[in-house]
Amino acid sequence: MSSLLRPRHWPLSLRVPLLVAACMIAVGTIASWLVLAVLARTQEAHLRQLARTALTSLGASLTPFVERRDVWETFDALDRFVSRREGLPATFAAVVLTDGTVLAASDPRRFPTLEPVPADWRQLWSGEADLQLADAAPAALARHRLSIDGVPIAEVFAEIDISGLLLERQQVFWALLLSNALLTLLLAAGGYVLVRRMLSPVPQLAQAVEQLRRGGKIEIPADLDRQAPEFRTLFLRFRAMAEAVEERQTLLARLIEEERLAQLGRLASAMAHEVNNPLAGLLTVVDTLKRRGEDGAVRESALELLERGLLGMRNVVRAMLVAYKEEDTGIPLTARALDDLAVLTRHEVQRRRLQLEWSNGLRAAYEIDSGALRQALLNLLLNACRAAPIGGRVVFEAEERPEGLGFVVEDNGPGLPEPFRQLLECPDSAAPPTSRGLGIWTVARLLRRLGARAEVTIGAEGGTRISIRCPARQWRSVA
Amino acid sequence: MGAERPLRFGLTPVFVDDDEALLAAFSRYLGEATGLPVEFVKRRSYQEITVLLLAGRLDVAWICGYPYVQFRDRLALVAVPLWQGSPLYRSYVVVGAESPARTFEDLRGTIHAFSDPDSNSGYLVTASLLRRRGEDPGRFFRHVFFTYGHRNVIRAVGRGLADGGSVDGYVFEVLRRIDPSLVDACRVLRRSELFGFPPVACRVEAEKDEVVVALRDALLAMPSHPTGRFVLELLGLDGFTVSGPELFDGIAANARLLARAA
Repeated sequence: MSSLLRPRHWPLSLRVPLLVAACMIAVGTIASWLVLAVLARTQEAHLRQLARTALTSLGASLTPFVERRDVWETFDALDRFVSRREGLPATFAAVVLTDGTVLAASDPRRFPTLEPVPADWRQLWSGEADLQLADAAPAALARHRLSIDGVPIAEVFAEIDISGLLLERQQVFWALLLSNALLTLLLAAGGYVLVRRMLSPVPQLAQAVEQLRRGGKIEIPADLDRQAPEFRTLFLRFRAMAEAVEERQTLLARLIEEERLAQLGRLASAMAHEVNNPLAGLLTVVDTLKRRGEDGAVRESALELLERGLLGMRNVVRAMLVAYKEEDTGIPLTARALDDLAVLTRHEVQRRRLQLEWSNGLRAAYEIDSGALRQALLNLLLNACRAAPIGGRVVFEAEERPEGLGFVVEDNGPGLPEPFRQLLECPDSAAPPTSRGLGIWTVARLLRRLGARAEVTIGAEGGTRISIRCPARQWRSVA
Repeated sequence: MGAERPLRFGLTPVFVDDDEALLAAFSRYLGEATGLPVEFVKRRSYQEITVLLLAGRLDVAWICGYPYVQFRDRLALVAVPLWQGSPLYRSYVVVGAESPARTFEDLRGTIHAFSDPDSNSGYLVTASLLRRRGEDPGRFFRHVFFTYGHRNVIRAVGRGLADGGSVDGYVFEVLRRIDPSLVDACRVLRRSELFGFPPVACRVEAEKDEVVVALRDALLAMPSHPTGRFVLELLGLDGFTVSGPELFDGIAANARLLARAA
């Protein structure tokens, strides 16, 4: 809801028409204001001219009546002037003598004959202009001075009904408003359609990006020539980028496979070593049995040694089998499965004469992709073995935590390089791997798959401590 | 009687002289009845018509009783209208319908509209009334003015231009019928005694002229002629009659009163 209230989050196809509408409203308002202002000025000038002409004509006929103070003739002329309403829509007219008394008015009840002009009226029309617009009423006051040989004798006042002019202004206002609104609506709708059409390649591009992200087949419109130049370029570059990404993915997969094979080779070597060591003893036991097998005590001891040696070999083989299962078998993680990792690293530990401090605090079975977890931990352990100096120290800890499981792999090597640290801690922001560090990148991918977070601590004098927090819960058998 | 010579008939606002339909019918009737083309002559004031009549520029004129009595030795009566069965009428003093005035005295210090300085009902009656009371119209009223027409007096009072006005009772009643909105704005404050109705007059020396005689016959015959009856209906009159100068003795008395005061 909050994003709906933020214009920046609105789609372009909406923002552009709204912007067009806003601009049109602004332009329309200014243009309308100008038109109305010009209309008002024109109307006022026209009214002034009309009033001047009408009152001059009226004044000419009134002058002799005013000169002889003829109340009736003055009234009659004013009354006819007002009732005729030809040209000038006067609603009231009066002749006021120079001493401020009313000689006659078209409405004598309003301006009683031979009485002073009402004070409120005099105050209302206090200006000296020939034409004055009333503040409140839709009326204007026009005045004309009567004089004989330059000597003023009276003033003729005419109140003019300008409601027609105001109505005209109102009609113009509404016409402007409606035409502007219609135009704005049309332009906004046109803008909407146009922008939608212009942006139509964007959803295709977004779909292609999504396909790229999911690793599916990317569909680029075939008819790129019909696209706008900008979008044609964009599609072409995207296609090139997608191809580059695909090539890189292929390369990366090959590198991963090679790394996997290399690791497998190392483990096979380790396994051969693990098998070879007891094999010599077993052969010796077999020889002993051949020679002194009739001795019950010797035979018993030899068989016991034989069994122990074979069990050790079976453990090594089983660990190898479990570690290199390809898919998540749905088998829960157990403490014993973790201990297999110690078996698989034993060869590397012995080869480098390392001190392996193994602490497995798990006491139950856990629902987790145990294959991925073991592969990640095995990689980290082998890396730690390689990082630690000859005769160095490698620590492995596993424990159950309230939020899941916690693991620590620690060595006293020179410290994990910074790019690898970033790769582990922020797998999304880290730069893609080169052939070096592929193992760490694989661990990062596995951890992301598990929803686990890694935290790397580099000691001041070297040494790397990798802590992993992995969400998991205790396994409950459906049975 | 020359066929080309029109009958020149002077008109004054002693009746509703601005009704064009009435004038057209009146002219048609007189033309048919006398066999002469009729030319109505109107002027702004009674005085102008009286002067034209006395100067022989008019054959006859429908004038007020006041000019008649002023020039009784030079003017002869052709016919006198009959209104409500007699050749008599009254003068009214009218005020606005909303006026607080209840008596003539209440009009003291107000603005008063007269019809014409030579009108009996529209001036002389009120002026002589004040004279008899020892008052002068120019002082009794704050201001007086002349409208040169009874209709105008009613209009001036009804619109509030004047507080009161002196008006012909006959014209007032006719207007009440044909233009009620005008008359409804007024209220009659005082009705005068009866006076001789404004007559149709001619110069004394023209009294026996064929034209004048023919006109008198036409006026007297109006009730017996369809067009004449139609005109009388529009005029609100019953017909015309012949009367002696004594009919205007009341007006003459007022005129003398006013002349003495002057």
